Amino acid sequence: MKSRKTLWFWCCLLGLIVFLTVFSSLLAPFSPNKMNMEEVYSAPSSEHWLGTDHLGRDVLSRLLEGGKVTLAVASSSVILSLVIGVVYGGISGYFGGVIDTVMMRLLEALITIPSLIIILVFQAIIQGGMWGMALLIGLTGWLVTARIVRSEFIRLKEEEFVKMANMFGTPVWKILWGHLLRNSIPAIFVVTLFNFAGAIFMEVSLSFLGIGIPPAIPSWGNMLYYAQNDILIGAWWIALFPGIMIFLTILAINFIGEAWKNPERRRVND
Amino acid sequence: MISKWVGKRMVMGIVVLFIVSFLSFFIMQAAPGDPATAFYGGNAQTLTAAEKERITRAYALDRPVAEQYLAWLGETVKGNLGTSSKEGRPVSEIIMERLPNTLLLFSVTMFFIVIGSIWLGTVAGMRAGSIWDKGLSTFSIATSSIPAFWLGILFIYFFAVTLGVLPSSGSSDVDGNGGVVDKVRHLIMPASVLIVTHVGIYARFLQESIKIENSQYYVKVARANGVTERSIRKGIVRNASIPYLNYIAITIPSFFGGSIIVESLFAWAGIGQLTVKAVATKDFPLLMGSIMVTGVLVVVTLFIVDLIMYAIDPKLRKGGVR
Repeated sequence: MKSRKTLWFWCCLLGLIVFLTVFSSLLAPFSPNKMNMEEVYSAPSSEHWLGTDHLGRDVLSRLLEGGKVTLAVASSSVILSLVIGVVYGGISGYFGGVIDTVMMRLLEALITIPSLIIILVFQAIIQGGMWGMALLIGLTGWLVTARIVRSEFIRLKEEEFVKMANMFGTPVWKILWGHLLRNSIPAIFVVTLFNFAGAIFMEVSLSFLGIGIPPAIPSWGNMLYYAQNDILIGAWWIALFPGIMIFLTILAINFIGEAWKNPERRRVND
Repeated sequence: MISKWVGKRMVMGIVVLFIVSFLSFFIMQAAPGDPATAFYGGNAQTLTAAEKERITRAYALDRPVAEQYLAWLGETVKGNLGTSSKEGRPVSEIIMERLPNTLLLFSVTMFFIVIGSIWLGTVAGMRAGSIWDKGLSTFSIATSSIPAFWLGILFIYFFAVTLGVLPSSGSSDVDGNGGVVDKVRHLIMPASVLIVTHVGIYARFLQESIKIENSQYYVKVARANGVTERSIRKGIVRNASIPYLNYIAITIPSFFGGSIIVESLFAWAGIGQLTVKAVATKDFPLLMGSIMVTGVLVVVTLFIVDLIMYAIDPKLRKGGVR
C-alpha cells in the first residue's frame, strides 16, 4: 500500500508541474521577457520571489514559461519517437527472420552512436528553432522503444490467443492492432515515460550548450546557459531554481516509471 | 584464438564506424560553401588556383559522391582530417592535443564508477530487504535524475566561488606547468560530477542482478552443501557481472554524451568541448574530425568491455553466442 501512496505523490507532483507550466501565462507575475535594467541581478525578495536575471527579468515568470517550452519540446519529440519506435519494432518483431535480423543489427549499430553527437551534427547544419529541436530529439530517441516493442511482439506472437486468431483467419491488421499492440501498451507506456525524461534531459543539455532552443525563447536549459556565467558573480538563484524544476520533473517521471514497471516483464526487456 | 563471438563484435564495431563516417561525410556535403575552401581551412581569398586544384584532386571533389566518399575516407584513415577553418591548423594536430585530457577524464571517472558501483551493488544486493537495499534504489533514482551540468554549476558555486578551493574551469593552469597537483585540482570537479550522477544507476543494476542470482537454485544447493558464504558471494558476483558489463556497454554512448556537456561546462580541453566549439563556430572540418574520433573512442571502449566479458564468461569462450 505504501508504494501506491508514493505513486500518487509523484503523479500529483508531476501534474502540478504540468499545470503550473501550461497556465504559465496566467500565473506568471511578470511578462517573462520584460527587462528592467534597474533591477538587474536582484536576489529573491517579496516582489521577485525567485529574483531577477542579468537583464532584470523575473526568474519565476521565466521559470514557468520556460517549463512550458521544455515540456512542449519533450512531449512532441516523445510522440514522434513513439510512432517511429512502434512501427520499426513492430515490423521487426512481427515479420521476424531476415528482416528482423537486418533491422536489429542496424538498430544495435545506431544505439552505439551517442545521440547527442547526431543532434549536434544536424544542429550545426540547419540550426533549427524550437520545433526543429523537437524533431531531432524525436528522430534520435526511438531506438529503445523499437527494441521493447519488438520483444513484446515476439513474446505475444507465440501466445495461444494470437495463434488462434491466426487460425480463424483474422485480418493481419486486426491482429497487429487488437492483439499485439494493445497488449504491449503497458510496456510501451513505461518506456515512453523514461523516454520523456530522456527528452527533457536532451533539450536542457543542448540549450545549456547554447546550441538548442534559440536564446530569445526561455526554456529551462536556456536559463541554465546564462546561469553558468551568473554563478561566477554569486547570483545563485538564477541557476538553482531551473535545475530544481528539471530535477523534480525527472525524479517524478522516474519514480512513476519504476512503480509501473512489472518485475516479471523487466527481465525480458533488460 | 579469437572466438566467433569476438569476431562478430569486431564486425559490429566496423559497421558503427562506417555509419559515423557517413554522418561525418554528410556534414561535408551539407555544409554551406565550397568543400575545397573548407578543407583548405584558411581565408578563401588566399586559396591559390594550384592549391585548390590539389585539394580537389586529393578529395575527388569533381567526381561523383561515392568516389568523393571513398577519397575522403582514404584520407581520413591515413590520419589526414583536413584543416580547421577557424584555427587554420591541421585537425589531427588539434585533436591529438586534446585527446589525453578526454582519455584522462574518461578513465578516472570510469574507474571510480566501476569500483564504487561494484562495492555498493554487492553490499546492497547481498542484503535483500535491508536498509542498504532500499537506500540504494532511492539513491540511484535520485542521482540519475540530476542533470550533470546543473550539479556542476552548483559545485562551481560552492567550491570555486564561495570557498575558492578549486578552479572553476580549464584543464590546467594558464602557463600549463602546474604539474600533477594542478591537474588533479582541475580534474576533481568534472570527474566527481560524472561519478555522482552515474555511480547509482550502475550499482543498482548490479544489485538487481545479484538479487536474481542469489535466488537461483544453484546458490541454494551450494548453501545447503555448506559452501562458505565467501565463495558463494564470489560466484554470485561473477555471474551477475555479465549482465552488469552488458549494461555498461549499452550505456557507454550516453556516458560519452554526458561527458561532452560536462567538458563544456568546466572548459575541460577535451574532444567533447572541441565538438561543441566546432558546432558553435561552424568549423566543419574540425567537427567531422572530432566526430570520427569520438566514434573510434566509443567503439574501442565497447570492444574492451567485450573482451572483459569474454574473459569472465566461460560460455563465450566455449564458442557460444549471447
